Amino acid sequence: MTFDLLIGLLSVALLTATPVLMAMLGETLTQRAGIINLGVEGQMLVGAAAGFAATHSSGNPWLGLLVGAAAGLMLSTVHALLCLQLGVNQIASGLALMFLGNGLSSYYGTPLVGQQIDGFTNMAQGSLAQLPLIGHFLAQLTPTVYLGFVLVVLCGIFLYRTQWGLIWRAAGESADALHMLGRHPGLIRLVAILIGGAFSGLAGAALSVDYTRTWVEQMTAGRGLLAVGLVIVARWNPWLVLPVALIFGLSEALSLRLQSTGADISPYLLGTLPYVVPLIVLLLSYRASQRGTAMPQELAGVFRGMA
Amino acid sequence: MTLSNLQGISSRLTVPVIGAAVFLVLAAGFFYANGYAPLDIFGQILQGAFGNAFSINTTLTKTIPILFCALATALPARMGLVSVGAEGQLYFGALIGTAIVLHWTAAPLWQLLPAALLLTLLGGACWGAIPGMLRAGLGVNETIVTILMNYIGIQLVEYAVYGPWKDAGNLGWPATIAFPDSAKFPVINIGSLSSNWALPLAILIALALHILVEKSRWGTGLSLLRSNPRVAKLAGLSYPQQVIAIMAIAGSLAGLAGYVQTANVQSHLQPDISSGYGYVGFLVAWLAGQNFLRIIPVALIMGGLLSAGDALQLMAQIPFSSTLILQALLFISVLSVSAWQQKRRNAA
Repeated sequence: MTFDLLIGLLSVALLTATPVLMAMLGETLTQRAGIINLGVEGQMLVGAAAGFAATHSSGNPWLGLLVGAAAGLMLSTVHALLCLQLGVNQIASGLALMFLGNGLSSYYGTPLVGQQIDGFTNMAQGSLAQLPLIGHFLAQLTPTVYLGFVLVVLCGIFLYRTQWGLIWRAAGESADALHMLGRHPGLIRLVAILIGGAFSGLAGAALSVDYTRTWVEQMTAGRGLLAVGLVIVARWNPWLVLPVALIFGLSEALSLRLQSTGADISPYLLGTLPYVVPLIVLLLSYRASQRGTAMPQELAGVFRGMA
Repeated sequence: MTLSNLQGISSRLTVPVIGAAVFLVLAAGFFYANGYAPLDIFGQILQGAFGNAFSINTTLTKTIPILFCALATALPARMGLVSVGAEGQLYFGALIGTAIVLHWTAAPLWQLLPAALLLTLLGGACWGAIPGMLRAGLGVNETIVTILMNYIGIQLVEYAVYGPWKDAGNLGWPATIAFPDSAKFPVINIGSLSSNWALPLAILIALALHILVEKSRWGTGLSLLRSNPRVAKLAGLSYPQQVIAIMAIAGSLAGLAGYVQTANVQSHLQPDISSGYGYVGFLVAWLAGQNFLRIIPVALIMGGLLSAGDALQLMAQIPFSSTLILQALLFISVLSVSAWQQKRRNAA
């Protein structure tokens, strides 16, 4: 009984954590190359709107995810232009992206409000569901959850086990040193911003195409910003992204669970849980993250003094 | 007027003039791409913002919360803090201010309004001081914390108006009882123009902040804390203390925006007291270069843009979200042009 309850909670947690997980992975890659992008929220929104629109017109959710990622990537070019080319402060540029993404997705998403899509086909009849013991649990998850797992592994291997990953991390530790070795940190950062954009666009599409299956203005509701904050908690390490994203997922799942069981707490108070819990975790781990060697050194300036 | 004087003025005008030009080109491109005639739309925006007494009154109404929120952004910026928390401070300030109105509804104006304003200031100050304390004590980035606290503040207001403070007389509509006139800022009428006393109050605060920050020792201390914290510490300035104080003052200013919206504009505390005024105020502060005097006209222009957005939606069937895009384009234009000028100055 309790076991079933826990399994149910965990599967809902994984479903709600997946968009945050994808956005965190993208931002981890971007920050590892020495760039902060606060525009994740805006990129998620355009990804959610474009992905939903593509799924709605084609009926193919996979195409929706692809279009969402492309939309996020396109928006991130603005961040690349502003901070790499023109030298705009990264925090300000990221906020500009957040506003632009919000405006664009609201404007072009107006006809999508109230539309419905089918999303991915239910996996309850698939071969996974036939597995003993965990089959029932695995079948409750959706394709984007598995896609998230795969991306964690890919990012982890890329950053820590490949030559390119080493160069990538060097761009975030010391651009000057990398430059002296004859590499181009600017180019790596450009790629890092674009990849981060694609990941957050994908994250938005996962939210609208797979989780809610609807489009509503500002539907990401701060998930993108939470992702940026949680990257710090995960110490810029892709392998830690899954457990940290689950902090958000579990608090959201708990909030939903308590609402549906009719607990005597206002749903609006419960609704603050997914913000309050990750915020507290961020506070608890912040000091250590700044003291340790986990933070890419090129970020230090952006985090401390900003004018 | 000497030559160097002229050069000074021309270099100060570069960013606004070129920024505005870049913005107009981007905005024209956006409208053209969506099948509207850009020049017609620009004309309608001007008309909708300042065309007649009605539109000017609407513009003024929207200018008030924008102005308060812009001040709430610019003050922390003077010591290098990027606060995007005006939206949440607006909601939380309004929430606390409303508490006294609900419990002391029959009190006369001279008691109720000051009491409600005092509580509003306290509420906003609390919501602002929290990210301030986290920044001062733990060094947590204030931008992330302020934005996350916006979502929490908004949900607390929803909790109150859907829950304990919901007035049964509203037939299911989530809102408190209607505010009595004694809880509202008195109205000012000059000819066909109409506004309320919150407008002169906001302008007065802007002027006072300008004098304090530009001319007083306190202001010098703030810019020292921003540019050279070590020297500031030697001079006896406490960074943690100043961060908390500044963030609290900023929060209380944003709280005022929430109270005037609740009391004068909507007459109830309800879920959507702000149409993103906290974020618009943030843009205004940045567009004005965090200068308290320049914030006043920029807030008026942004108020005009929002009021035109309402008119455009009615007359030309252009979704209101187009004003969100225009705001973002304006922000991007000014950011790029000022960064470009900074680069040129460094090269020279």
